[in-house]
Amino acid sequence: MTARKSGSRLETEIERCRSESQWDKIPELVRQLSAKLIANDDLGELLLGECKLQTYLKENPLKQGASPRGPRPKLVEVRKHLTAALDRGNLKADYLQEVSLLMAKLCYVEGEYRDALGHYSRVNLDDLQLGGAPVYRLSMIAEAYATKGLCLEKVPAASPSLSNKNTGSPSSNRSTTDRDQEIINCYEKSGDIALLYLQEAEKALSAGIQNRSPKPGPTAQDLELGYFLETGLQRAHVIHFKNGNLTQGVGRFREILRAVENRTTQSLRMTIARQLAEILLRGMCEQSYWSPLEDPPTVSPLDDPTRQGHTRTKNYSLSRRPRVYSGENLFCPQENTEEALLLLLISESMANRDAVLSRIPEHNNDRIISLQSASVVYDLLTIALGRRGQYEMLSECLERAMKFAFEEFHLWYQLALSLMAAGKSARAVKVLKECIRLKPDDPTIPLLAVKLCIGPLHWLDEGECFGKIVIDMGEKAAEFRAKGFLAIGLVYSLKATDASLRSTQEEYQRKALGAFQRAQSLSPTDHLAAFYLALQLAVSRQIPEALGYVRQALQLQGDDVHSLHLLALLLSAQKHYHDALNIIEMALSEYPENFNLLYTKVKLESMCRGPEEALLTCKHMLQIWKSFYNLTNPSDSGRGSSLLDRALADRRQLNAMTLPDFSDPDTGGLLDANTLGFSSMFSVCSVHATSIAASRVEQALSEVASSLQSSAPKHGPMHPWMTLAQIWLHAAEVYTGMSKPAEASACTQEASNLFPTSHNVLYMRGQIAELRGNIDEAKRWYEEALSINPTHVKTMQRLGLILHQLQRYSLSEKVLRDAVQVNSTAHDVWNSLGEVLQAQGNAAAATECFLTALELEASSPILPFTIIPRAL
Amino acid sequence: MLAMDQGVVEDWLSEYKTLHESAVSTYAASLKDKGVLVPALYKVIRENYSDFLEPVCHQLFEFYRSGEPQLQRFTLQFLPELLWSLLSASAARDPHTSGCIEALLLGIYNLEIVDKDGQSKILSFTVPSLSKPSVYHEPSAIGSIALTEGALANHGLSRVVYSGPHLQRETFTAQNRFDVLTFLLLCYNAALSYMTATSLQSICQLSSRVCICGYPRQQIRRYKGISTRLTVTSEFLVQLITGIHYALCNGEVELGSKALDDVLYRAQLELFPEALLVGNAIKSSLHGAALKSNNKEGARSIQVEITPTSSRISRNAVTSLSIRGHRWKRHDAVDLGSPDELMDISEVDEGVWPGGMGPDMTPPTITISNSVTTLNLGAKAMKKCRLGGRTNKDKEAGPLTMGRAASECAELSVKRLTLTSSQSVPKAGALTSLTRTASAVFSRSFEQVVSSNAPPTSNHTASEVGRYSCSLQEDGLGYFSPAVNHKQQRSPSISVHLGSDL
Repeated sequence: MTARKSGSRLETEIERCRSESQWDKIPELVRQLSAKLIANDDLGELLLGECKLQTYLKENPLKQGASPRGPRPKLVEVRKHLTAALDRGNLKADYLQEVSLLMAKLCYVEGEYRDALGHYSRVNLDDLQLGGAPVYRLSMIAEAYATKGLCLEKVPAASPSLSNKNTGSPSSNRSTTDRDQEIINCYEKSGDIALLYLQEAEKALSAGIQNRSPKPGPTAQDLELGYFLETGLQRAHVIHFKNGNLTQGVGRFREILRAVENRTTQSLRMTIARQLAEILLRGMCEQSYWSPLEDPPTVSPLDDPTRQGHTRTKNYSLSRRPRVYSGENLFCPQENTEEALLLLLISESMANRDAVLSRIPEHNNDRIISLQSASVVYDLLTIALGRRGQYEMLSECLERAMKFAFEEFHLWYQLALSLMAAGKSARAVKVLKECIRLKPDDPTIPLLAVKLCIGPLHWLDEGECFGKIVIDMGEKAAEFRAKGFLAIGLVYSLKATDASLRSTQEEYQRKALGAFQRAQSLSPTDHLAAFYLALQLAVSRQIPEALGYVRQALQLQGDDVHSLHLLALLLSAQKHYHDALNIIEMALSEYPENFNLLYTKVKLESMCRGPEEALLTCKHMLQIWKSFYNLTNPSDSGRGSSLLDRALADRRQLNAMTLPDFSDPDTGGLLDANTLGFSSMFSVCSVHATSIAASRVEQALSEVASSLQSSAPKHGPMHPWMTLAQIWLHAAEVYTGMSKPAEASACTQEASNLFPTSHNVLYMRGQIAELRGNIDEAKRWYEEALSINPTHVKTMQRLGLILHQLQRYSLSEKVLRDAVQVNSTAHDVWNSLGEVLQAQGNAAAATECFLTALELEASSPILPFTIIPRAL
Repeated sequence: MLAMDQGVVEDWLSEYKTLHESAVSTYAASLKDKGVLVPALYKVIRENYSDFLEPVCHQLFEFYRSGEPQLQRFTLQFLPELLWSLLSASAARDPHTSGCIEALLLGIYNLEIVDKDGQSKILSFTVPSLSKPSVYHEPSAIGSIALTEGALANHGLSRVVYSGPHLQRETFTAQNRFDVLTFLLLCYNAALSYMTATSLQSICQLSSRVCICGYPRQQIRRYKGISTRLTVTSEFLVQLITGIHYALCNGEVELGSKALDDVLYRAQLELFPEALLVGNAIKSSLHGAALKSNNKEGARSIQVEITPTSSRISRNAVTSLSIRGHRWKRHDAVDLGSPDELMDISEVDEGVWPGGMGPDMTPPTITISNSVTTLNLGAKAMKKCRLGGRTNKDKEAGPLTMGRAASECAELSVKRLTLTSSQSVPKAGALTSLTRTASAVFSRSFEQVVSSNAPPTSNHTASEVGRYSCSLQEDGLGYFSPAVNHKQQRSPSISVHLGSDL
């Protein structure tokens, strides 16, 4: 500092240093100042007093909750400076006020609360000008209000000299409330002015940076909120919550958060945003919520009822307030979850920014702090989004948490669960693997993985590995051990169904049976164990044993739909069709919208009651389908354009998908003239080609929308369409049974519109062609069906028969033998094989085939047992 | 049932019937003061065979139908108890006792699923987005919004349906039971703040019982009621957890934490991800918070303390924020002497604060144009383009204003940068080489910003980039031609050409 600064320049420099709390520069500046004019001496005293007091406070910061420590030798000097400035009285009014404020602060630091209050009453804080004041003065005023609040809290209410103007009032209760209110007002004013100060200071700072030439060293050090400003900003809402005054506390939180943020308030905002979100999620509900721009309700269940009636509105005003976020189209939450989410997203973005990435040991503590503050936010996000069923969004949020997640089990596990809930199964399994690594003793995790592997993913080998992990835990897995056996049994059972070689099939069936038996013996009260054991026995055609276990399952869980279904199928295998139908009808009274039951019902009805009844059921199914999936969502429920994309993508998939096997081909029922108006069926659910494209998008939209929010049985968006196609095919089958090729063909066409390349559709076309006596055409359809699904047993059987008719015996035999390899329990295939062998003159082999067919037929259910879903 | 209780209930039953319409609201307000009535009604509901059950259910339904919020809440407070009665009766296969409770619950359900005009009610809410200004924030200050598919889909505010439309139900079946009950709990949860302590205790008990009956834990809890297992759904458990959470934070610490444990236990056995997710989150978020039990002073455990406002993370720790402002060394240079240099991360984010941003600054625009390109890299290529785009933009605005605005993508590429940097320039090979190339371009062009005497980008790189049809690199580089003025507030325009197969 060689050149003397001109007067105004010097003053500006002093002002800047005071605003930026650069106290170490003050003494030098004061020296320059005094050198210019003797009249400046008083100002010098003020500045030196201030600078020494602030330096002292910086070196000996006050602690929240601790009281000031009484007089300090170091402060004697401060008092000397300030008294000097005050006594001479030469200062301008503004500066005099400043001296008083500093004096009061000093008194507080020394524990002289009454003196401090005396100084404040002399200055009268409310008269201090906020407009046009230099930045540092805003800070002074804010600190003064906070200090006054602190003093008022310390000084007992009774002392007359200190209470506010209406001291004389004897009713102590009333004056206590007034006093409480005054304290809160002090803090709230302090907080408001502090926010204003911080905004102004930052503005000045950035302006300063631009004006000044670049200088070395750190320019923009963070402004630090001292003890007093921190108290001013936070004490008001702390008191509100301590008093059980949630409404006002929330109001105060919102005021602070609405003020435009700046660098210094960031960390405070992050804390407050999180706290407010906590309150919204833990202490409020939809009905007690009010939006940030509304007035709070006068009576609210949130407030402590014993203090009810003290709810006051803000009764002070300031000439200048901190800037708040403004503009057009500001989003303002209308619901507690919305507000909580908004706040949490804001906190999240800040917490994420503070993620400590380096893993060197020196930063261990920092890392723990950043992890903790982030995981609180992520937990709250999970609560908020989970309540609203927004698992997709949640999984995206939790993915962002992964930068904290190294070796952190909780975060990994939550991510895995959210992915699972969002239907992102493949990724979920990958993350679950990591969870297993981090916590190898928890049997739930591998079980969750098996659930995904045998459910949506159909990764049976992986599923087997995960299942073995659980079983290998042995006794440690406790109640989950049985579940482990159940899981691995299901894996084997599904593998058996998939296997193309008879030997492997039988091997897996044996393993599955063993596993289910273990599960059942470990957990005899679990109906699922008994049920799957029964199902596995049924698949292996041990009908009486299966009946025993399914009864057991039903005793444990009387209204389990799958057990009831299995019971009906078992009865049909014993050819008790009427009993089976009764069971199905009973089950349908509890599960009226279960399509699986309805398919079986169609079959049984055409068997026992004739095709008309069956057609009625088909019509009923279409009605259910319509009411089920036709609930249109008038609001634009989805996530904007992505929803449309998804729907379009679905449609593309639609053509490529194939229908699963759903039924046996042969219906014994023979025909009567149908009494049913054929068109009535179409009127129920016409999805004709012309309108289909449009309606399909619409339907898919609503389906996707509903699948977004309900995570119930997770079917892909394809599910409704597959159901519809199956219904049509069932109807077609009933019509073929009635020898009505035209109607059957129309029904098949409907299914074909949805899934043109499904082997079931092609197979049905073949059947219709056969019915029309078009052997060549039928053969062509069957061949097409087999080219899509080479192991479709029913098609193979029909093709075999046709080849037989065409007298191409050896080819027919080959096809039928293949069919038997795929499914050794298909009695009609054995029968056809016998016929071919007989035609070839191989009587001995033919007899054997006929005997096998006979034996199998005796235990054959009306629909394959495997139509019952197997899932964990 | 005591005679006195009986009298109270009888009075209550007769009083409302004689009430004039105008007196309903004062009557509703006065219900709170009838101290003996509520416990007496709980008794009626608990004793399944009480003669009063039917008239009481009827009257509770009348209350609900009146539309008067206070009367509706009066009915709602019994919901947990009613649910338990229904579920235990159905588990015990005792249909005739639960008939009137079923009717009451279905009645409430059918009233709640429609709005005033009789249309199906759809409950929806707006998913807030940080990219839209709100009363609490400005998008420019938030900066880091990951450019993920989800973020793009969520760019605007979107309304999401979380419940509804629901079908009218005339009877309970095994299939619809939990849909109806879940929806009823949703209604209950919407009025949680108005529920009494008894009702909150009741929902905790309901949760515990539903979850443990028939399981080994029943013995631990010593609950002797029915011992058959009750089926549950994941959504139902999530709704129960919401109620438990409120109870837990509002005085019912003991019952609440027991109930939460029981629900989690069941969710584990059933392998329900949704319930586990929310339950774990609640457990973990309450872990640190000391919960006060139900004493007179602080019935609510919502307490806040004054917290220090300065950042608790030391300034020299490498954070996601600081790493964005890091000046990266030239990575293709061989003079990367010691590996320590990689650790040498200086904080250069001073003045990054968006507050300094002039209001006249135009936001960077990203133009995405669809054009047929020769390359068939598909979505992955596009992602890489985005990566490049972000880094470019980030660089341009970086030290000035947009340091915080760097996307996760940019971070990703930055990390990648460190990983690949110490190695030599990679061989061209499918996608990895693209990233590496992009990184190389990034580092090179960044050098140009840092020191203006850097050599111009070699043709080699440009052509390699060109192969992947990312024209943005070249565009971007144009801005970094030797003298880059930091004050210059130009909006970088980045155009991304998408392959036709996207």
